[in-house]
Amino acid sequence: MTLSAIIFTPLIFGALLCFLKSDKSIKVSTFIFSIVHFLLCLFMLSNFDKTTIDIQMAEKISWLPSMGISYFVGIDGLSVWLVMLTSFMLPLVVLGSWNSITKKTKVFHLCLLGLQTTMIGTFLALDAILFYTFFELSLIPMYFLIGIWGGKNKLYAAMKFFIYTMAGSVFMLLGIIALIFMTKSNGGVMSASILDFYALDIPFVAGSYFSTQTLLFFGFCLAFAIKVPLFPLHTWLPDAHVQAPTSGSVILAGVMLKMGTYGFLRLVLPVFPEAAEYWSWLFLYLGVMGIIYGALVAMVQTDIKKLVAYSSVSHMGYVVIGIFSLNTFGLTGSLYQMLCHGISTGALFFLVGMLYDRTHSREITKYGGLAVKAPIYAIAFVIVTMSSIAVPMTNGFVGEFLILLGTFGASKVAAGFAVLGVILGAAYMLWLVKRVFFGPEGELVASKDEAFFKLTIKEKLVLAPLIVMIFWMGIFPNHFISYSEASLNHLSKNMSNYELNIVGQANGPEVNSNNSQGESK
Amino acid sequence: MNIQLEPSSITFVTPAIALFFFSLVPLFMKVFRGNKEPSSFSVLIYSFLGLIVAAGLSVIFPAESSLVFSGALVFDGLSIWSNFLIILATGFSIVYAREHLETCHRQFSEIVFLMMNAAVGMMIVAWSNDLIITFIGIEIMSLCLYILIALSDEEKLSKEAAFKYFVLGSLGSAIFLFGIAFIYGGSGTTQFSLLKSASFELVSTSPVFLSGIVMTLLGLCFKAGVFPFHSWVPDVYQGSPTPLTTFMSTGVKVVTFVVFLRFFATGFLMPESSETLLNVMQVLAVITMLIGNLCALGQKSFKRMLAYSSLSHTGYVLVGIISMGLGGGYAVGASGVLFYSFGYLLMTLGTFGVASLYESRVGQEIYIEDLKGLGRKNPWVAISLSLLLLSLAGIPPTVGFFGKLFIFSAAIQNGLIWLAVWGVINSVISVYYYLKPIVHMFFSEDECMLSSGRSKQLTEFSVGLMATLVLLVGFMSSSFYEFVTKSVGQLF
Repeated sequence: MTLSAIIFTPLIFGALLCFLKSDKSIKVSTFIFSIVHFLLCLFMLSNFDKTTIDIQMAEKISWLPSMGISYFVGIDGLSVWLVMLTSFMLPLVVLGSWNSITKKTKVFHLCLLGLQTTMIGTFLALDAILFYTFFELSLIPMYFLIGIWGGKNKLYAAMKFFIYTMAGSVFMLLGIIALIFMTKSNGGVMSASILDFYALDIPFVAGSYFSTQTLLFFGFCLAFAIKVPLFPLHTWLPDAHVQAPTSGSVILAGVMLKMGTYGFLRLVLPVFPEAAEYWSWLFLYLGVMGIIYGALVAMVQTDIKKLVAYSSVSHMGYVVIGIFSLNTFGLTGSLYQMLCHGISTGALFFLVGMLYDRTHSREITKYGGLAVKAPIYAIAFVIVTMSSIAVPMTNGFVGEFLILLGTFGASKVAAGFAVLGVILGAAYMLWLVKRVFFGPEGELVASKDEAFFKLTIKEKLVLAPLIVMIFWMGIFPNHFISYSEASLNHLSKNMSNYELNIVGQANGPEVNSNNSQGESK
Repeated sequence: MNIQLEPSSITFVTPAIALFFFSLVPLFMKVFRGNKEPSSFSVLIYSFLGLIVAAGLSVIFPAESSLVFSGALVFDGLSIWSNFLIILATGFSIVYAREHLETCHRQFSEIVFLMMNAAVGMMIVAWSNDLIITFIGIEIMSLCLYILIALSDEEKLSKEAAFKYFVLGSLGSAIFLFGIAFIYGGSGTTQFSLLKSASFELVSTSPVFLSGIVMTLLGLCFKAGVFPFHSWVPDVYQGSPTPLTTFMSTGVKVVTFVVFLRFFATGFLMPESSETLLNVMQVLAVITMLIGNLCALGQKSFKRMLAYSSLSHTGYVLVGIISMGLGGGYAVGASGVLFYSFGYLLMTLGTFGVASLYESRVGQEIYIEDLKGLGRKNPWVAISLSLLLLSLAGIPPTVGFFGKLFIFSAAIQNGLIWLAVWGVINSVISVYYYLKPIVHMFFSEDECMLSSGRSKQLTEFSVGLMATLVLLVGFMSSSFYEFVTKSVGQLF
């Protein structure tokens, strides 16, 4: 029941929110709810057994038996930290948007809580249709977040975001349907359980574009590559980020993009191992191109938020090349980088939002010399920048180092270009810091005094946990990796005959279907 | 010809008889009161009594598939299921009609009379086991609809719509009838159950029979509004008073799908024997979806947008019907179609309900932009409409998603993969115009138009009910799907 509770408590809290009247009570209670939710997730983490590779705390209730669809959730090393990240971000988002959201407060917090349910549901779902359901549903609250509280061009951005993402995922739906029928010919009964998909032996012909596995592989990849977003499918991201309110950007960059990379880990690699191996070069190069393209475009931006958005494209490129290097280092690095990116980019968006709330401008040229007027803010910004450009001792270093290590094993050329991306990343971020915080005072800075830029308690409370996490994850990576180590090892070693069981059900239906398959051969 | 009328067979047609008698009540009331219109509320009550009695009678006499009236009518799960759908469509259309400006006036009793008789026609179509009876049913239904559309107070558009519908509908009926003659010439029978054993051979050996099949299909495509016979749909839907549009786009559509099912269940569509026909049907399905979606993208009128979107939904259903025709013994496509029809019925009743609500309060045709500010003025209606539109777009876990899931599953199972691919591409296109009303309802800062006019509680309630059902049926899709599968099981 723990996992269902984690998925649905935000929704129940949202329902409770409907009875509240005043804006302040809504904000306070959402904050309390989000803390309660985080505590619930901590309780889950304390019960998590890091030694096993199996699915833990599984719950399975039949939903649509005629097609083998069920409500099936469970957690393992791949998803545990993403759930924690999602839950960790919510209180910060509520706190960070305290003063900037002035209209339709109730709807805003309902959207946040609804988004929480769908995102955690995506990470915990082990039934393909349930996964698809949460994956799609997460679009709706985000669509409203961008559409109602967004900037000038919000309608265009919201629509583009929705249609782009949906366009990818419907092909995944077709793929899921095809896989469901394959489980029928494989195990005798239709099943939409992802664990049963792992047992499938999908025909693959190397070099052919139209072999079953290749087609299905690209169907799934399209959905996830758009979500990540992988170059050249990234064009929705800058629009969405620039138009979205701070909280929307934080969740989008911090958590939602990870739904794409998580999809690669959970579905693409284990279900289509041959195709993933055969086509890994394509994703390595697209990833590398994303890294360099994102970095170069970020360098010439004049809008701080757009710069951070393009840096997201670049950073997510690392995650993709880590995944498609298909070795333990790469996969571990990718998972770690997902968390790091969530925290550091989330923090960057918070920082940009704090500045924007005060001056209502994100033009880099209007700033300069801010370090004198806002010393604490500058320190926080520089720390987060260090994390973003992967300075040792910060979390970003661990992730990128592992990814580069993994990529080096897979393709030296890709690794070489990816290293170039690290340099470019340092260049655009440090140049940003230089232009905003140092040098002569810009027009927006000169006219204001120190009190104007002084961080409020709430803002400090938002930044403090993020900065603590940056160092904690940078100095003691093993505190985090140890939870996922077994699962990631299992994935990289046994990719071609990957299987997962539910804890305590070693002789469960999944194993039986494997056996019967073996006998029939 | 030796015609025997068994008394027991009468029991099966009692729902239609009940509907007919109850439809007379308001009319007689008017006659006996010296042509003075009875209160619209009492008319509503009598019509609902009729519908409830009809529904009750459909439950009391469920039967394992039985042919009655010398094989003219068939009573199986499909008949009973379509009874309910027809009753649902009629009931809510009457509710909308009662609260709509153009239909609630002096002729409300006549309108209800005609609607209930159109429902009788629909039932006959749904029950028919014989193409001739199908034709008679379609004519009863269509004649009532021609008059209904023309009855409206509205000056120009409804007359044009009625005329267009009449001329094109007659043309469709004529082609349909012509096709029946050819089928009879080729096979010696017009009964579905007898065609079932013969059609597979005949379709490849007898050109007369094949042309009969093609023409009958064309006639049906006319009725369902499949490309290239779709051009009347938007004009008629826009021109008719909204309650009648609701009635047409739910009742008539569902019944046509049922005929399609019964017709395709005869098994003439086999890849070996009629490859060309299969290809043509597939192309028609794809183009119908595309035309519907592409035209809907640019519409400004809410009703016209819904009309084009209903075209695209016909395309999706056609995908299911084709897969069902191919599947022969497997009922996956058929249950998909029936489930989708049910879902489509709910969604359409809801969305047109909002159009009707607006028109009756504002008193003019409603454009998509007119929905602005509804989110603040009347959040419940706005949320309901959003749910319905998201369901039309196929977002899980609504009924629209599961309908598409079943239909595309059927297509993939029968190897019609590219048809399924076109289907999902189309559902992405459709997201754009289904989201537009949501944009106006929630993202606009302008004042809502609904501030004037009396509130229409029954219509609002119906819209909310439909939205709830769209979600509920989605969550409990398994029990509905099982029920639907059982209903179509006797088809083959």
